[in-house]
Amino acid sequence: MTPAWILDIFAAIMLVVAAVSAARLVAARPWQPGAIITDTDISHLLMGIAMAGMLASSLTTLPNGAWAVVFGVLTVWFGYRVLRDYRASGARALAVGHCAPHLVHSAAMLYMFLAITGPVASGGASMSGMNGMSGMTGMSTLNYPTLAFLFALVLAGYAIWDLDLLSSLRRGFAVAVAGPASAAVRLLALDPMRATGVLARLAAEIDQIAARGAESADRPLGDLPCASAPALDLLAETHIRAEVRLFES
Amino acid sequence: MTDVAVAGNRTAWRGRLGTEPVAARPSVDARRALQLVLAAIWLLDGVLQYQGFMFTKGFSQMLGGTADGNPAVIAKPITWDATLIDHHMVLFNAIFATIQLLLGLGIAFRPTLRVALAASVLWSIGVWWFGEGLGGVLNGGASPLNGAPGAVILYALLAVLLWPADREVPAPFVAARAVGAHVARALWAVLWLSLAYFALTPDNRTPQGLNGMIAGMESGEPVWLQDLQKAAASLVANQGLATSVVLAVALALIGLGVYLPARIAKATLVLAIVVAAFIWVFAQALGGILAGGATDVNSGPLLALLALAYWPPRTVPVTPTGPVVSEGSVASEGSEGGTR
Repeated sequence: MTPAWILDIFAAIMLVVAAVSAARLVAARPWQPGAIITDTDISHLLMGIAMAGMLASSLTTLPNGAWAVVFGVLTVWFGYRVLRDYRASGARALAVGHCAPHLVHSAAMLYMFLAITGPVASGGASMSGMNGMSGMTGMSTLNYPTLAFLFALVLAGYAIWDLDLLSSLRRGFAVAVAGPASAAVRLLALDPMRATGVLARLAAEIDQIAARGAESADRPLGDLPCASAPALDLLAETHIRAEVRLFES
Repeated sequence: MTDVAVAGNRTAWRGRLGTEPVAARPSVDARRALQLVLAAIWLLDGVLQYQGFMFTKGFSQMLGGTADGNPAVIAKPITWDATLIDHHMVLFNAIFATIQLLLGLGIAFRPTLRVALAASVLWSIGVWWFGEGLGGVLNGGASPLNGAPGAVILYALLAVLLWPADREVPAPFVAARAVGAHVARALWAVLWLSLAYFALTPDNRTPQGLNGMIAGMESGEPVWLQDLQKAAASLVANQGLATSVVLAVALALIGLGVYLPARIAKATLVLAIVVAAFIWVFAQALGGILAGGATDVNSGPLLALLALAYWPPRTVPVTPTGPVVSEGSVASEGSEGGTR
């Protein structure tokens, strides 16, 4: 049987997830007209509370049946979102959109609350084996263990996929900043330390530009700012016609 | 830079209900894709290690049992290790599970890829000895069907072959990029030929050897999987020698396939994946995961993953301005791009 202190640690992590999601929902000021509320924050909040209750009985908030209804609604909602994404963007939406993972998350939660047998509240559940989840404290078991295995596989895959995407974006960000400095050093023979120093001093401005860009992201397409660097565009036009190109990317 | 930042933030932080477009994802090259599969398997192993069974004496007894039949120099450290774990069961198992989780997450997170792969090699070798008794290689119990030469050593092999370095460019297949084609082919041949050898060891070629091995995995499995295994067990009942010979020939063919012309090599790789799938489903019962008590997925998926690492890439068309690399290997590895 999985020790209670390990279950408590996981329950605490779930509560942190729920708290962060709640904070983000509050920060969005949903009581104001035109406020933006993300369905993912709502689902994270609910999943965090529900999972904490499954892991530690003292944190149980609702009966299993009530949670099954909640996650049934979420499953239907994200299923609808996936369908809309699919119609708008094709099968690519399943791979890169955020609705498909949340659909699987919601469905997995629904499965757990429907398939669980035995008293969860009597001691919480463990991340147990698939054979009837026999390691659950309070003698709880899960029906249809094959389905549990499939959910575990898909969710592990999504976790890895997301982490890779996150780290690739971080790297892309760094490369975009470092690229001009590298070019200046290699082609113009500038002092590497001074070139890097200039970039470091520009950090605040870069952050401001990124923030302004992020703010613009929620505007309608026609209202997006079209600020650009015409000189760079002209240089690119000239460069692409040049007989000898200095860069290739 | 701004585009990337905006794209990243929109999906995660500002998704208006039903209005956000699907963000484009950078292309993933073949080696990175295989690394991610390896990471997912490590993550799954970590989750399995948190099962309730692993915090009981059954786990330490399982470890101690791998010492049986091994030479004393191998067996004594295993026994000592199992005793130590038995005395500090919860602490050690929690550490083991967390390490495997971190290995999976570390491989998936690009900045820690090298550290995680290197750590996975060391961890795999340790587990191969102390947790699997060298996969039964020295005690005569090894069989391709039960996970020989030890599933965990395949993690180490994959970590080496998928190491993010390019010794040979262009490489004929992903596994050759890090260690070169000659070494990669030699490793493949050694692995599969050793499996062919284990298929013919005396224990495995007895009339009921394979039947008993498959039947022994049925306990605790779902009914549909038990039915599959019963069918497989009855198929090889009293056919141990013939089945072992057929299996050994197939494994040897796979092992030598990488030295054959490309078209035949591809066919042997397909055969390798099919054999790995059959072994995983019928002989290993999906690694015993559904029965509880499994610490990993066993060798089937890893053998298939290994075969994919030897799959020849698509032809790279050459244009007047240079080659068009269809799999985006340079970009996805985080290079700054060429300057010439």
